[in-house]
Amino acid sequence: MDPETLKPRSRGLWGHLLQGWVVWVLALGAAWTLPGRAILGREGRDVGVSALPLGLGIVAPSLVSMVALALVAPLLAWAMGSRLARHRGLALWEAPPGFFWAGLLLAIWPASAGPPGRLALVLVFLIAALPSELRWLCQAMPREEPFPAVWGRRAVRCCRSRTLRRLAPRWLAVRLPLWLTATVVLERILAVPALGSDWMARLAARDRIGLACWILALALLWTLMVRAEGLSSQEGP
Amino acid sequence: MKRRVLLLLTPMLLLLPELRVDPFRADLPCQWLHPLGTDALGRDGLLRLMHAASRSVGFASAVSLLALGGALPMALGEERFRGARSALRIVPPLLLLLSLAVALDGLGWMGLAFTLSALLALQAEPALRARLDPIRRAPVWSMARIQGAGMGHRLRVWAPWAYGEALPLLPSLWIAVLWDEGVLRLLGLGPPPTRDSLGLLLYEELPRLSTDGTMLGWASLVLVVALAAWSASKTSMEES
Repeated sequence: MDPETLKPRSRGLWGHLLQGWVVWVLALGAAWTLPGRAILGREGRDVGVSALPLGLGIVAPSLVSMVALALVAPLLAWAMGSRLARHRGLALWEAPPGFFWAGLLLAIWPASAGPPGRLALVLVFLIAALPSELRWLCQAMPREEPFPAVWGRRAVRCCRSRTLRRLAPRWLAVRLPLWLTATVVLERILAVPALGSDWMARLAARDRIGLACWILALALLWTLMVRAEGLSSQEGP
Repeated sequence: MKRRVLLLLTPMLLLLPELRVDPFRADLPCQWLHPLGTDALGRDGLLRLMHAASRSVGFASAVSLLALGGALPMALGEERFRGARSALRIVPPLLLLLSLAVALDGLGWMGLAFTLSALLALQAEPALRARLDPIRRAPVWSMARIQGAGMGHRLRVWAPWAYGEALPLLPSLWIAVLWDEGVLRLLGLGPPPTRDSLGLLLYEELPRLSTDGTMLGWASLVLVVALAAWSASKTSMEES
């Protein structure tokens, strides 16, 4: 790569990152100056202590859901290829909002079985989020006709694997906040405490330290996304 | 044509008969006079559903138009503060809305409309810019200015074109507003429960569906499916 052409682009990248970080710093400021007093969880150690501990019980359902989606979606996209993006069935599956699936589960769930648990959350999350992710991945994959389709199935699979390997980091960075939003909605409908509810609980409890950690995590995710995009645009097509 | 029908559904709210509270007709099952029964206050279920649907649809039409109106000047102008916009875009509008609603103990109709339209305008801007840029970067864009045409003349020439380019984004914005408003009220974080909307009906009826579910609850879910199927058919039509 020509180093001369790289310079202005990298300068633009740093400017881009700087602007974004100004937004994140403002968000941190907004979280820190939220009206209301923090509801602190532990008596006597109330200064600088996070109000709500982040236990495995909260992290696990979200983590399992997201890992399952991160594995299933690329696998299905690899098996079906870019044609899946134009499939009418996928559009119909994708159309209902996430809360519809949670509502349907609540409607058919037998009352005698108690409230739906974590497994139900993972299942509903997969049903609600999988079609959008499949469409995202399949739309980003290159067309396979006439090439590499005419070279045979092995060539097609090899092409799909390479494309998905390149797509996966950017896909994860772009889509993670959307998954988090989906889990917030589903967790609240199904009353399962998980990562999305944690953000809302910290907001309601004015847990400024916890919120700052959340915002920093989002900022880090955005930085990684911008870096990945910047590097891929420098590498060229 | 369908878009016009949607916009006409808002004034339909004014033509619908008013909901009357009648404690002597509370919790009636389905019958000829009340096909979806009545609720605990004796209000007709079908009428409630129609009120709720037209309010949600009208709100979605108004906010999506507002969002498109906000996205147009952004997409037509120079792309300044790209980094800041990109950072704002990574957070989904619904997550920001939910956070705002929790931090401010709920959002009113006007607050929800303006916040949601601003957030959606920000999200719609890149797609709109991609549609407008091929012409905006061509010599024809600056021709009228070079020939000395005034602002009014340029607006007359370019506004219909910009409107035509922006209009295909309306259905996706419309459905996003519809679902976002629905989710916010379904979670009990939206505007106060004085006026019905699809989200409020679901908020009231969903928890009861598996135990003593009413026809109104099932009809609300069916309406969600119908709206979703309509949006899916619209999307596939645009793609084809």
